[in-house]
Amino acid sequence: MTIHDPRTRHGDASDGAMDQVGGRLSRVDGPAKMTGAAKYAVEQQLDGLTYGVLVESTIASGKVRSIDISAAEAAPGVLKVLTPDTIMSLRTASDWFGTPPPDKPYCPLARDITFSGQHVAAIIAETFEQAVAAAAMVKVSYDETPAITDLSDGKAGDGIPIDAMTKEWGDAQGAFAAAPVRICGAYNTPREYQAPMEPHGLIARWEGDKLTVWEPSQWLDGMARTYAEWFGVPFENVRLVSPYIGGGFGSKALALGHGAVAAAAAKMLGRPVRVVMTRPQTFTGYGGRAATRQTVTIGADTNGIIQSIVHRGVNETSIDGMWVEPLGVVTSIMYATPNFSSKQNVVRVNSVVPGAMRAPGENPSAFGIESAIDELSYEVGIDPLEIRLRNYAEQDPEAKKAWSTRQLREAFAAGAERFGWARRTPEPRSMRDGNQLIGWGVAAGTYPVRRAYGEAVVRILADGSVEVESSSIDMGQGTYTILAQTAAETVGVPADDVVVKLGDSRFPRAGVAGGSRLAGVMTGAVYKAATSALDQLIGLAISDPRSPFHTLQANTLVVANGRIGSPRGDGPDLSIAELLASVGRDHIEATGDTMPANSTAEDRYKNYTTIATSVPHTEGDYSRHSWCAHFIEVRVDEDFGTVRVSRVVSALDSGRLYNPKLAESQWKGGIIMGIGQALLEEGIVDRRHGRIVNNNLGDYLVPTNADIPDIDVISVGIPDLHSSVLGGKGVGELAIVGVAPAIANAVFHATGKRIRDLPITLEKLI
Amino acid sequence: MTDQTKSTTIPIHLTINGHNHELEVEPRVTLLDALRDRLDLTGTKKGCDQGQCGACTVHVDGQRVLSCLTLAAQVEGREITTIEGLAGEDGTLNAVQAAFLEQDAFQCGYCTPGQIMSAVACIREGHAGSDDEIREYMAGNLCRCGAYPHIVAAVRQAALEVAS
Amino acid sequence: MRDFSYVRADTLDAARQASALPGAMLLAGGTTLVDLAKCGVAEPDSLVDITHLKGLDAIKVDGNGAMIGALAKMSHVADHADIKSRFPAVSEALWQAASAQLRNMATIGGNLMQRTRCPYFRDPANFPACNKRSPGSGCSAIGGVTRGHAVLGTSDACIATYPGDLATALVAFDAVVHLGERQIAVDDFFLMPGATPDREHAIEPGEMITAISIPASASARRSTYLKIRDRQSYEFAAASAAVGIDFEDDGRTIRDLRVALGGVATKPWRAHAVEAALKGKVLDEDSVRAASLLAVEGAVDHGANHYKIELAPRVVARAILKTGAMA
Repeated sequence: MTIHDPRTRHGDASDGAMDQVGGRLSRVDGPAKMTGAAKYAVEQQLDGLTYGVLVESTIASGKVRSIDISAAEAAPGVLKVLTPDTIMSLRTASDWFGTPPPDKPYCPLARDITFSGQHVAAIIAETFEQAVAAAAMVKVSYDETPAITDLSDGKAGDGIPIDAMTKEWGDAQGAFAAAPVRICGAYNTPREYQAPMEPHGLIARWEGDKLTVWEPSQWLDGMARTYAEWFGVPFENVRLVSPYIGGGFGSKALALGHGAVAAAAAKMLGRPVRVVMTRPQTFTGYGGRAATRQTVTIGADTNGIIQSIVHRGVNETSIDGMWVEPLGVVTSIMYATPNFSSKQNVVRVNSVVPGAMRAPGENPSAFGIESAIDELSYEVGIDPLEIRLRNYAEQDPEAKKAWSTRQLREAFAAGAERFGWARRTPEPRSMRDGNQLIGWGVAAGTYPVRRAYGEAVVRILADGSVEVESSSIDMGQGTYTILAQTAAETVGVPADDVVVKLGDSRFPRAGVAGGSRLAGVMTGAVYKAATSALDQLIGLAISDPRSPFHTLQANTLVVANGRIGSPRGDGPDLSIAELLASVGRDHIEATGDTMPANSTAEDRYKNYTTIATSVPHTEGDYSRHSWCAHFIEVRVDEDFGTVRVSRVVSALDSGRLYNPKLAESQWKGGIIMGIGQALLEEGIVDRRHGRIVNNNLGDYLVPTNADIPDIDVISVGIPDLHSSVLGGKGVGELAIVGVAPAIANAVFHATGKRIRDLPITLEKLI
Repeated sequence: MTDQTKSTTIPIHLTINGHNHELEVEPRVTLLDALRDRLDLTGTKKGCDQGQCGACTVHVDGQRVLSCLTLAAQVEGREITTIEGLAGEDGTLNAVQAAFLEQDAFQCGYCTPGQIMSAVACIREGHAGSDDEIREYMAGNLCRCGAYPHIVAAVRQAALEVAS
Repeated sequence: MRDFSYVRADTLDAARQASALPGAMLLAGGTTLVDLAKCGVAEPDSLVDITHLKGLDAIKVDGNGAMIGALAKMSHVADHADIKSRFPAVSEALWQAASAQLRNMATIGGNLMQRTRCPYFRDPANFPACNKRSPGSGCSAIGGVTRGHAVLGTSDACIATYPGDLATALVAFDAVVHLGERQIAVDDFFLMPGATPDREHAIEPGEMITAISIPASASARRSTYLKIRDRQSYEFAAASAAVGIDFEDDGRTIRDLRVALGGVATKPWRAHAVEAALKGKVLDEDSVRAASLLAVEGAVDHGANHYKIELAPRVVARAILKTGAMA
């Protein structure tokens, strides 16, 4: 796909600075998204397209006894009814670490039921309406067995200890016992759902043994690998196309069962098949954030200085899958403590395997520790901001390494100043406006800098424009735009003259767009490719006998605003197009990547199709993280218990911002999702059926426009060259971390009630 | 007794963005699916298909409605406007589209056509008089990326431009 | 959705006749019916589209009251200047319902026919037992997730909440449903579930709502609709109250009081006991709060919805105090 429309250029600066890295360039994919021209994956119009609808289990545990498909098969337009007995056999694929899979078949339609909403059959029909109607005619009967419905289920037990999550130093228990001030709290978060506005789905089409999949994807190369392994075809035979992604938030990184069903159906039918999940199916067809339980105990002295933290966590996973939501990851680094212990168990319940949702681990972890330190502040009578500064970690307490950069103190200062924190009255219930109790809360957040690999091609074309290609993606973070800025600045052309092509696995490869790693990786790759292309261009200009610069005998030349000339301004002044014409070249091409120089082809395959080779954030001498501080005002109606967020000031350190306009949008988006998490979002399980009953956007409430005040974000970051080639740290995951505890802390300040179970709904406050 | 082997279709004549379209569809086909699956007008998005998100907002006779709960057969003889019909023939963005771009009132873009169609109507209805009014009258369009403050800013800006 | 045939009615009589056939249903805005057809709850054989009928969308307001055509859109009634000035609670109930798009689709007649949001009712594939859907099959909600369910007017057969806002205001001000010639008070139009929760409205096959009338009153002119919910907008009520007050000439003594509750009962719920307790009294906060407790007399909770018994009287009290303070 191509993004290039000079008629609709918009931005905030007219001097060209916005074209550069760090400029506030408006989204280059904006015009296509404004006009409906942007075609998302399942919107491709293909000849012979057929429509698939999934049938899901209505019990949470047991076996499929029989499936009566007679009525469905006879229904108008039905082409195929797939059941566990009739779907073609697939092979088990490796996991996202690339662990070699067991050599056994994989059936995406289940006979053994381990959760309600599991795919058991599928209808393929000539039209969507026919498929929907026929799916309702499939009659499945079951032999049901008792289900473990959730963490509170008596049958759930204590779970499986995850030793890799254990973090210990000093004598945490002893120091806690000896501490003059001791607090202990149990903090719970429910099942939460990514709920991207674009539901999951795909179109699969086979041509011989070559598969094309149009699917919203946070990771084309990883998903292509899974499809290739399922169907036993070479990796090169699978093409993933994902030009636009309607939101992912972690949920669109992996190929899932519905994709296997669609691709299998397409192969069996010999026609392209579209399968899109219904909105209710998106609550059971893949995992949201796991429900979690934590206890945080803090021992401190009477000045609020922490002596010990003891942390225990539990998250739920599925019966046959393993998801660990790392609950001690913020607990272990946010505050300096000489003694620390964190352990975690995972409990199996009859649910779909949970998955990644915006800041998995950091988010619930921060709810625990950032609520607990707030409790400690009241216990010792110290301002909640002051106690955070007293316990400021000057280095990574866990890794015992220097921070690469940590502008958290600056974030506290800038946020407090803008918010007016100094005017806060310390007593709970001390601020009110009529029936509304007003509360001010603060909490911090952090997210590690995850680094992986990416490669890009940069071409300088005959007309002087620049083309960038990469199989990385843009799901709203702004990849199209920041890569255009990177290429524009590096080569020396206006951003309007750069065309960025993403979202096709035929392009140079990229790792997962997850863990806030893509921008840092891809700006680095494009920077290197563009630098190399520029070097070639200048080299040609200087050395090619046909070049007007040949006789100048210059050491170098400069390219700016699409024109090439000598640094001193003497000699010829040509456009890039004129230069290329003079030397008889129709383009210059260069590839750049962020990989070690001696990487083999096998290394590359592993780097792009697995996450096994991600670089640890504590590699080398530094510990690398983004940081933030949220200051939030809530208004709680004293009669009704309703909480409304009325003011947010957040100061954030994401290092250098490649495009502040877009980074601010992502930060605000994270904060808004955090407001939803704090006040609204909860998957509610019917414990008799082991089923989520609020599986739709009318009952699983996400914030509306009316729930959100204006949000003030402040960038306090400085370039961090230990974290990325151009100095940025993570943006997208960071801002949600700490929002829920900031709101819970504000609610305590407003009401005197400490809510430790999210969401903070009205019945908990009346 | 209905024929069990073949669905019954009916001819429908729709006027969309000023153009006439002849369709042969079953009565149960929604306007949303007619647009997306039959007419290649995929700018109108399917987010929930049950009236709970606003992504499928279009205008029928100038009023914003949800195309997922509207049968295609019902809107014969009505003027239908979708996101594809908003910009000028030469591609010039209308005031709301331009304001959304300038204010960065979108991220993934999937709710955006519905937001814009809703915003155009919100201004026309006279419900863009204050930020709080905009928030309330734009509450039927969910945005999971969280562009809400920028959407309010864009609607405010476009309302001023439309008024002047 | 099951396949169905589509009939566009050109006249009221044609609509009535077509809708009297077995398996036929009237289709207006579609916001309930198309939704429920997608859920598999409604399985019509034919839909009779009445949205092209002429002359049924008029809104007339005069000294006697308001007459609202059945096909008037919620949004038009909400924004109607005379409805706003003479029946503010009606306008407020409407604009706080659903979303702007849904209010542009949904008709006033269709709004009265809106059905419960009980998640068990709405999911026949997973919860076959529902007395409202399949009489005698049982109630999946009792013993299940009940946070949104009713605490007033429930029976052993059904605890589903009536979800609407408009009818709550209508029942407070003695509105009348017009089924052609036949007229019936809104309060009687909605039926208690009792042993037959499948029967929600006092309407017969072949009948059609043609209009709603609201008698003019001083209490309707000084009225409020207060809706409390988890989300600020685009959500059904956790509890709501429609309140109207008429004071004696002293401006403090309550001559007439109207109170109805939404979001907590199986039908729009008139709180006569609260009205009786305060009529003739001087309005003050303590007596209002005490009297408002009568709003939930006889309430029964099913666990997670217990908060509604606490919440509803507070909503009533706030609404009365707010209405009393209106200029």
